[in-house]
Amino acid sequence: MKTDIKVFGMTCMHCHKRVTDAISALEGVNSVEVSLEDEKASVEFDADKIGLEDIKKAVTDAGYEIGEDACQIPDEEEAACPVIIDEEEPEESKVEPGTVKEIAFKVSGMQCSACAQNIEKALNKLDAVISASVNLPMQRASVSYDPALITPEEMENTIEAIGYHVVKDRVVLEIGGMKCAACSQNVEKVLKRLKGVSSASVNISTARAQVEYNSSLVSVDEIKKAVDDIGYSASLPADRKESEDREKKEREQEIKQQKNNLLICVAILIPIMLGNMKMMFPGLFGFVPALFSDRNLLFLLATIVMVFPGRQFFVGTYRGLRHGVTDMNLLIATGTGAAYVISIAASYLDLGPGYEHVYYDTAVMLITFIVFGRYLEARAKGRTSESIKKLIGLQAKTARIIVAGEEKEIPVEDVQVDDIVFVRPGEKVPVDGVVVEGSSAMDESMITGESIPVEKNVGDMVIGSTLNKSGALKFKAINVGADTALARIIELVENAQNSKAPIQRIADLVAGHFILVVHVIALAAFFFWYFIGYERFDVALHSGIASPFLFSLLISITVLVISCPCAVGLATPAAIMVGTGKGAENGILIKGGEALERTLKIDTIVFDKTGTLTKGKPELTDVVLTAGNDKDELLTLAASAEKGSEHPLGEAIVKAAEEKKLEIIAADNFNSIAGHGVEATIDAKHVLLGTRKLMEDNGIDISSLTENMERLEAEGKTAMMVAKDGQVIGLLAVADTLKENSKEAVEKLQKMGIEVVMITGDNSRTADAIAAQLGIEKVLSEVLPGDKASEIKKLQEEGRIVAMVGDGINDAPALTQSDIGIAMGAGTDVAMESAQIVLIKNDLRDVLASIKLSRLTMNKIKQNLFWAFGYNSIGIPLAAGILYPFVSRIVISPELAAAFMAMSSISVTTNSLLMKRSRIK
Amino acid sequence: MDKVSDKNTGKYALIASMVSSLLLVIIFAGLSFLVNSSRTVPLYSQVDIIAGMIFVFILSMIVAASVWPGFIEKKTKNNSK
Repeated sequence: MKTDIKVFGMTCMHCHKRVTDAISALEGVNSVEVSLEDEKASVEFDADKIGLEDIKKAVTDAGYEIGEDACQIPDEEEAACPVIIDEEEPEESKVEPGTVKEIAFKVSGMQCSACAQNIEKALNKLDAVISASVNLPMQRASVSYDPALITPEEMENTIEAIGYHVVKDRVVLEIGGMKCAACSQNVEKVLKRLKGVSSASVNISTARAQVEYNSSLVSVDEIKKAVDDIGYSASLPADRKESEDREKKEREQEIKQQKNNLLICVAILIPIMLGNMKMMFPGLFGFVPALFSDRNLLFLLATIVMVFPGRQFFVGTYRGLRHGVTDMNLLIATGTGAAYVISIAASYLDLGPGYEHVYYDTAVMLITFIVFGRYLEARAKGRTSESIKKLIGLQAKTARIIVAGEEKEIPVEDVQVDDIVFVRPGEKVPVDGVVVEGSSAMDESMITGESIPVEKNVGDMVIGSTLNKSGALKFKAINVGADTALARIIELVENAQNSKAPIQRIADLVAGHFILVVHVIALAAFFFWYFIGYERFDVALHSGIASPFLFSLLISITVLVISCPCAVGLATPAAIMVGTGKGAENGILIKGGEALERTLKIDTIVFDKTGTLTKGKPELTDVVLTAGNDKDELLTLAASAEKGSEHPLGEAIVKAAEEKKLEIIAADNFNSIAGHGVEATIDAKHVLLGTRKLMEDNGIDISSLTENMERLEAEGKTAMMVAKDGQVIGLLAVADTLKENSKEAVEKLQKMGIEVVMITGDNSRTADAIAAQLGIEKVLSEVLPGDKASEIKKLQEEGRIVAMVGDGINDAPALTQSDIGIAMGAGTDVAMESAQIVLIKNDLRDVLASIKLSRLTMNKIKQNLFWAFGYNSIGIPLAAGILYPFVSRIVISPELAAAFMAMSSISVTTNSLLMKRSRIK
Repeated sequence: MDKVSDKNTGKYALIASMVSSLLLVIIFAGLSFLVNSSRTVPLYSQVDIIAGMIFVFILSMIVAASVWPGFIEKKTKNNSK
């Protein structure tokens, strides 16, 4: 056997000789070759006489260190490492210029919308960035960029350079098949090459790889696949805790940090306040030691607060100013810094009359209140994204698959498509699939809201994260990982929460310029009070402040502190997050802020008939024959013609024929004529099945059946004529019953002042009959599937804001054309993509609920903006001393301004959270 | 080329900010002395004036440093067109 051993510590030929001699002296060693340059010893030995460990021991006894296990050098037949990765990157990874990619960064350190604006500005300045949008509560920056001109790392550096931190996702993988250091290097190389992976570190001894990555560019599945592709295996460790949520950890860390800061501030504020009170009311506060009024102690305590809890503002200001950005840190740093510096000057320099007072308490109180606000805000931010966490919590962690007839429990992430998964009663279904064996009842309420367990038999679909109630069953995995219904719902909600409503963009724009305007106002107020106001309004007499500068400074500080626009930045996103989250919990998925705003303005709703207002499961109700024809033959021909059709009407005919156990013959030359019917050749007979128009277009006389057809249509049924070889032979009527709550939903919508319209491909008689049952006055009937979108457009041209409700299968163009597309039922990809609102349950009352939710959310946004802007609008003039000439005193002190500012952002967040208590159904 | 023009913009913006802030400080000081000289008992002590000058300088630098870069960049773009 031959082996290579890494030997460290050899520095010269003497060391070379020592190692060679140490190994050669061992019995069983046939030959040894030591390389000083490569730091290795190649040893050929008889494994029966001596082991590798003995050889290693000999090297260490000689005073040198052994490296990681080396691969056994193979005999000719055997390979060593599965693959050697080249240094050069493969050609296909080069990107063509002009392509556009999307990426999302998790950003921590943002405090207000000015921060969000700063990041947007910094990113938009980069040439290769097409657009950048930052969501403050979600702490996410979404960027569209040209990957040929800029890398994600460069964008990350830009964000970090202006003082914020990009939070990366991290995953630990167990790597199997590694034999030596080269293997671990191979794995590292291939991981680092993946777009979106910023760092990878592989440890051969623990067989684990730690990978830092951006989840918007690469998924864990893709990372695992990359490792699998080069001949190793990658899996999530069985003993892992919840997948590391770096964002959650950062948030928790921030909460802890602000809590500690707050405790320090409060602990120091108490003696300072007592000292202050003693000076103002010596009689009342006689018990307070004189030490608390000593300037040296006050200076020391204030310095502790400025250096520890207060440092975040000064560091933030410095970082921002270095890159030309201004944010709320600047406002607070300027305000508290001015109070602190003037107090030091007054304490230790002889500044003359008017400078007897110090303002250490002002500086400390400012910082205390602001830190308190940040602490509560950090806690509230975590709660607004609870709905996503709840959805994620629904996911199963493990799955039981059948491999070679045996059950094997694996992490759910390792389930592949076509795996056979076994679920026992009481267990969660791990992924989406189709039942292949067994039957059971499933509790699907967490996904569809259907409270009654749904029977599942062979051939039925099961949805991941639902609960298996009664029986054991096996199913074939169809959708795994990011393709499951739940994963798509989570993605939808996350994207919704990340998006910006138009109203928010205006708010952000205002907030972003606000800081500059505030500084101008503070400067103007300073000038006014210094040169004019101080003397004019006898300030020295009323306030007791003998220095014009000091008084003007206090006014300026108050203006700066009270102007913080943090509440403005939170007003909209906080409400949208809670609103979309609440919707998700109720099976209403709203795709973003823009959808919310537009839903509010709807004045017309168009419902598709089949499957939306009706159950979509028509049944055959009537068979009318012309003279000399057989009922069974009629049904057989019709069912055979419709066998290839996916239309619900055709399915009803086929079902009726199957129930009668009639033989369905294979049809030739099947042709579906959209909106008219079908034609086919069955048993050499030319069969037509469909509308009057279809018969007329083919020159078939239908006069014998017209009366019956009209009668059936007036009953609200869909009547279809059947013709064989140019002669009409009979009529089939199919009825689709209304959903239980269709009428209720229509009535309530009409009460809300929204006009309800029905659109259908059915003939006008049938459509009118159904509409009359529901109380719908406006009906658009005989609309071909391709014309639905134009009908929507016609309504929009009348100046209406139109919502379209459909099941998505053939309604996609109409859903897209409408101002708000509402798709019914989960799991339809087309629905999810073409609609702005997706209703998971098949309940029309959810249309109402989605409108109510939109109204609730928009009202909340307006309330929040009113408080935020209104508070600033009123607070700034008051802080600038507008009432002083009338009341002869400062209405808002700097401390009060800080308290108000802290309360404003807390109240906006809390007001948004109150939405969770509102009912939308 | 971009980096050079960026650097120049930064340099010009800094100079412009310093100049405009100093100008405002001079106005402030000038007005303070004017008010004092028009009275028998000066309204502003030396500390008031000096502290005021420092405060005005800091605040006006913040404003100027936010405004000038954008202004100069716009001017530069217009000139290059």
